[in-house]
Amino acid sequence: MKIVGVSACTVGIAHTYIAQEKIENAAKKLGDDVKVETQGTIGIENELTKEEIQDADIVLLAVDVKISGEERFEGKKVVKVSTEVAIKSPNKLVAKLHEVAGS
Amino acid sequence: MKELIKKAKFKEHLLTAISYMIPIVCGAGFIIAIGMAFGGKSQDALVIGKFNFFQAMATIGGKGLGMLPMIISTGIAFSIAGKPGIAPGLVTGLAAIAISAGFIGGIIGGYVSGYFAWLVLTYVKVPNWAKGLMPTLIVPFLASIISALLMVYVFGTPVAWFTAWLTAFLKGMSSASNLLLGAVIGILSIVDFGGPINKTVFAFVLTLQAQGINGPVTALQLVNTATPIGFGLAFFIAKLFRKNIYNKEEIETLKSAVPMGVVNIVEGSIPIVMNDIVRGIVAAAIGGMCGGATTMVLGADATVPFGGFLMLPTMSNPLAGLAAIVVNVVITGLVYAIIKKDVPYEAAEPVDSADKEEDIDLDDIQIS
Repeated sequence: MKIVGVSACTVGIAHTYIAQEKIENAAKKLGDDVKVETQGTIGIENELTKEEIQDADIVLLAVDVKISGEERFEGKKVVKVSTEVAIKSPNKLVAKLHEVAGS
Repeated sequence: MKELIKKAKFKEHLLTAISYMIPIVCGAGFIIAIGMAFGGKSQDALVIGKFNFFQAMATIGGKGLGMLPMIISTGIAFSIAGKPGIAPGLVTGLAAIAISAGFIGGIIGGYVSGYFAWLVLTYVKVPNWAKGLMPTLIVPFLASIISALLMVYVFGTPVAWFTAWLTAFLKGMSSASNLLLGAVIGILSIVDFGGPINKTVFAFVLTLQAQGINGPVTALQLVNTATPIGFGLAFFIAKLFRKNIYNKEEIETLKSAVPMGVVNIVEGSIPIVMNDIVRGIVAAAIGGMCGGATTMVLGADATVPFGGFLMLPTMSNPLAGLAAIVVNVVITGLVYAIIKKDVPYEAAEPVDSADKEEDIDLDDIQIS
């Protein structure tokens, strides 16, 4: 399965990147193709391309704040959680994504 | 009603605004701190020939910090309504400053102007030829005039009164009350390691800082600074008791968590706490309670709301700040070293799997 995501937290220096790492690790373990864009205080890094979004089966937003470019995901299946959920239960979250994408 | 509140996403909008505000407060805060450290005072206006370099610094920083109600208002309105929210948020925030409704006024103004902008965007329909007028004239004018006038004639006065009362109350607190407030802030700021409780307290203490009360935010950040260092110190204290409390992987984690703590990032120690949640939180909370209380009682007031050790030079009393960090580090370290159980150095790799994780609350997931 192909997952794209965005992570963003309030201060934008720590949770954003921990969430990115946790999601990527959990998804890779299930053999998913995954890419998570980070929107920290420094700005957008690891930016998702149009093709990647188009090809994705599901979009995961692990965000505590308003992100830029949310309209890019219009028409896609989007799951939105707080960064805390992604950090505390990444494996369960990815399993949930499979469930949602499959239905 | 509950559904409606959830949909309104109050917290997300406030956090978004705070995320835009923090760099501004840090930038302006450091400038005013340097200016004031060399005797500069923030001026109403800089008249050519009538100010020196440090007065200029203090004034630049002071003007920046004085804009906080406007910044928070703009940020909230932007989060709610997107780009069209910026103009009404800014105008309403300035109205809040003008009527002395302060930071709390700015927060209220942000929500009001943001939702008005959103309402206008959603419900005001114009003919095709007028589409261009929508973002340039109709939304900014309607949303600004309604929310700014509401600010001036409805919310502003009671909020200004409340803000003045709260400020006077906190400034006049005895040391016993300071001790209590510091202790409570210390505990709440660390119990969830940068999670929602911490962020709520953070919003509250930032409000106080915008009113010129710097103690509480200093207490919160010094606790965040000291906790990871405390976990590092626990390793050495435990060695004195001939105990080994961390496995190999945790020691590697600490090697980055401690320097992160020095610059105010507490999150590096999350993996350590996750391995022993109850004991980790107990040690952090007891240390935080003492550190927070020390900060408030000794009066280590930093003008910037972030930076860890970098906050020290901006404090009215840097030694007090240092003392608070030391107290917090030692107590967290000592408590953790004592209550943590012995572990073998070569611990089995922790199983990183779904069964060990907390269940996800379905309320926390939003699918569209």
